[in-house]
Amino acid sequence: MPFVKKITDAIQSGCKALSPNCQEATRLQSEALDKKLPFPKRVGLWLHLLICKWCRRYGKQIRFLRGAARQCPDHLTGAVPQTLSPEARERIRQRLQSEK
Amino acid sequence: MQPEDVSKPLEAALPAGLSDPERWMELYGDYLFKYALMRLRDTAKAEDAVQETFLAALKGGRSFAGRSAEKSWLVGILKNKIYDNFRKASRETLFTDLEFYADEDSDRFVADGLGKGGWIHELGPQDWPEPGANLDNEAFWKAYRDCAAKLPKNVAAVFNLREVDGVESKEVCALLNISENNLWVMLHRARMALRRCLETNWFGKNT
Repeated sequence: MPFVKKITDAIQSGCKALSPNCQEATRLQSEALDKKLPFPKRVGLWLHLLICKWCRRYGKQIRFLRGAARQCPDHLTGAVPQTLSPEARERIRQRLQSEK
Repeated sequence: MQPEDVSKPLEAALPAGLSDPERWMELYGDYLFKYALMRLRDTAKAEDAVQETFLAALKGGRSFAGRSAEKSWLVGILKNKIYDNFRKASRETLFTDLEFYADEDSDRFVADGLGKGGWIHELGPQDWPEPGANLDNEAFWKAYRDCAAKLPKNVAAVFNLREVDGVESKEVCALLNISENNLWVMLHRARMALRRCLETNWFGKNT
């Protein structure tokens, strides 16, 4: 019966959402940085984090990495080792001159 | 005519607070180049973007009303040049990359049995005590940059736009012509790879 199947499927996916494992929780914590999770998944993640210190660390760390980059984009950009080559400098300088 | 006379009309047009374009190269050339190179990963494109930025700035000098510092004004122009680059590239190449890190650290999770999908405890995330204390440390940023540089080009493009520049998901998708689902998958894997890399190369060594 398709109707019964629908209900059992819904219960199953609901149960699954409420009890994510660590691998799923890493994905959920990442997704939560980009959108609001649907309610059952949010509850499931919250319950999981209550009992799992590894996933709590994981979440804290990916949030730290985002926060650090957004807070200090200059530091990250400054860490790029390459600089403009003398040839490129000269080329750009000449191009600017010709615009004047 | 003497060279000074040629440059006079231009200088007169520049609002107070803006330095002589002749000096832009010295003051901001390298910074803008690094900024563009990190995001475009292509030396020639990064050089072009810097040149176009200076040219646009030269023409649009009037739009600089001292509202922002000169450097951030130039960065704002450069940002748009970089986005133009992405927009153009996304029409020709596919930015979606579902190959990178497809196993999602599966070697660190229990493969089957009762604890399936749980962290293998000794391989789980380590404690990073006071991570914020690293923000002024140049060596930390070098480690961060080196780890980010290991991401493949397209994944790095997504990561830089979303995590560094804080562009909204929908805008990143429109810019790179990728679906939101693929964006989330790529971001998840990028964060996972970066976290692991920094744990190995920085936090594991320095704590």
